[in-house]
Amino acid sequence: MRFVAPDEHEAAERAWAVVSAAYAEREPVTWPRRHWQPLVAVAVVAAVVAAALSPPGRSVVHSFRKAVGIETAEQGLFSLPTRGQLLVSGRSGLWLVRPDGSKRRLGRYRDATFSPHGLFVAATRANQLVALDPKGAVRWTLARPAPRFPAWTGTRTDTRIAYLSGGRLRIVAGDGTGDHFLARASAVAPAWRPGPQRVLAYADGRSAVVYDTDRGTVLLRTPPLPDPIRKVAWSRDGERLLIFAPHATRVYHNGKVVEQDDPSDATLDTDAAFAGRRGHVAAIRVAGVSSNVFWLGGGPVLFSGTGVFRQLAPSPDGRWALVTWPTANQWVFVRTRRRKIVAVARIAQQFGRRARVEDWCCA
Amino acid sequence: MEAHEAPGQGLGSAQKRLSGKALQRRGKRSDAALVRRAQAGSASDFEALFRAHWGPAYRAAYLVVRDAAAAEDIAQEAFLAAVRALDRFDRRRPFGPWLHRIVVNRAIDWARARSLRPEGEAVDAAAPERPERDDELLRELGRLSPEHRAVIVLRYLLDYTPGEIAELLELPRGTVNSRLRRGLDALEERLQ
Repeated sequence: MRFVAPDEHEAAERAWAVVSAAYAEREPVTWPRRHWQPLVAVAVVAAVVAAALSPPGRSVVHSFRKAVGIETAEQGLFSLPTRGQLLVSGRSGLWLVRPDGSKRRLGRYRDATFSPHGLFVAATRANQLVALDPKGAVRWTLARPAPRFPAWTGTRTDTRIAYLSGGRLRIVAGDGTGDHFLARASAVAPAWRPGPQRVLAYADGRSAVVYDTDRGTVLLRTPPLPDPIRKVAWSRDGERLLIFAPHATRVYHNGKVVEQDDPSDATLDTDAAFAGRRGHVAAIRVAGVSSNVFWLGGGPVLFSGTGVFRQLAPSPDGRWALVTWPTANQWVFVRTRRRKIVAVARIAQQFGRRARVEDWCCA
Repeated sequence: MEAHEAPGQGLGSAQKRLSGKALQRRGKRSDAALVRRAQAGSASDFEALFRAHWGPAYRAAYLVVRDAAAAEDIAQEAFLAAVRALDRFDRRRPFGPWLHRIVVNRAIDWARARSLRPEGEAVDAAAPERPERDDELLRELGRLSPEHRAVIVLRYLLDYTPGEIAELLELPRGTVNSRLRRGLDALEERLQ
């Protein structure tokens, strides 16, 4: 039957904007490789590179990036706009970026976090949890299957690292000893509550759990969200808990929801975070072919652009938020009060593809 | 709406027009390759998968619900479901039937709900002009029950066999055959 439904082409473009944003947001799984695959991959990459390096290919790539990026963006991450240091992971490995823009490659690791005072780094690779110093020297390792999402808390003398391994949430002391199982959990980074007590929030499917690790008691289990949880985070004062899913965001205070947002199915939220000095929640919303960063409780849009914004990382002092913009191959630092924007281009060339901010620590 | 087949007479030609030049289903092998690469993170392969299946999915939804906005929502939701399920999708199974099953089931649900709260003619108001006989055929198709519409769309738009439709909709094959027969009988009667 040769039949064209009304508005078919336009509907396809509208739907593609939403569906491609959802696809860009997902984390692809890694499939076991067969021996012939690297050869094929090399051939394909070579062909793509050859095409991209050809004059027409270069022209397309250049015009696309020019169309969606900020034209006045700096051509390198020459400095950070505020104090603190960044941990950035990408295809080229894990990088530590200091405020003056100097970068040190720590090695080929996946997820990473700073120690509470920024003196060390915990990172993961295939089957190891690793503690590093800022020069990349390994201080200790712990062999565990597929560790992910380390989160480090504590004082200068007593610290704990929470991490996931095979669907299990585990905790190990900061010196690599005393590793033990805590609970089953979803593949979402756990978050320690700021403060003296060792209270941990983690995702268990569509619910979040707040657990007092010293007393071994569950303090809160939230009602399930419509979607699996993608992020849990505490406000800087430890008073409020953010639970984020692409179609539902909740902010808890004293066990009750104090803010919530349920975007329509036609849009998609890709990230949310406490930002600003007062710790309001900002979120990224992808609608159609554009994205914007907005305050959950209302107020002016912080930043908007064409394509997909993927990640929102607040600075340690809360004055800036880093928005990653893979469509434009740019990062944009947005000052949360008295709006100012600093854009940095050529992110993939500096950190490799799929560059991701792992942590921004210690003002 | 545009229906490009030539107008005909009676059920024989109605059926012929519906099935006339059915869309070619994508080969299982090429879809499997696209799914595999999309699972590995290839946006271009995922886009190819989307482009290959958007048209049939949207048209099928439209023919069941007769509302362009609802059809767009239904097809879009089916692709979002595909994104969510992509990593656990069994690549040995064909992608198209899996997607069409979601689309048609959701479209039937939507049409049933709509029939419980009728809001006037469900034909899309923004549809452009089209040949009179096709207009009539599509209008009469829209007057069938959602269940009859769905099996006719699957059979004559998406070119599934009755056995495949039975599997997709989790119905006995005899039920599919009887719905096809009754749906076509009703169309024939109304078009005469």
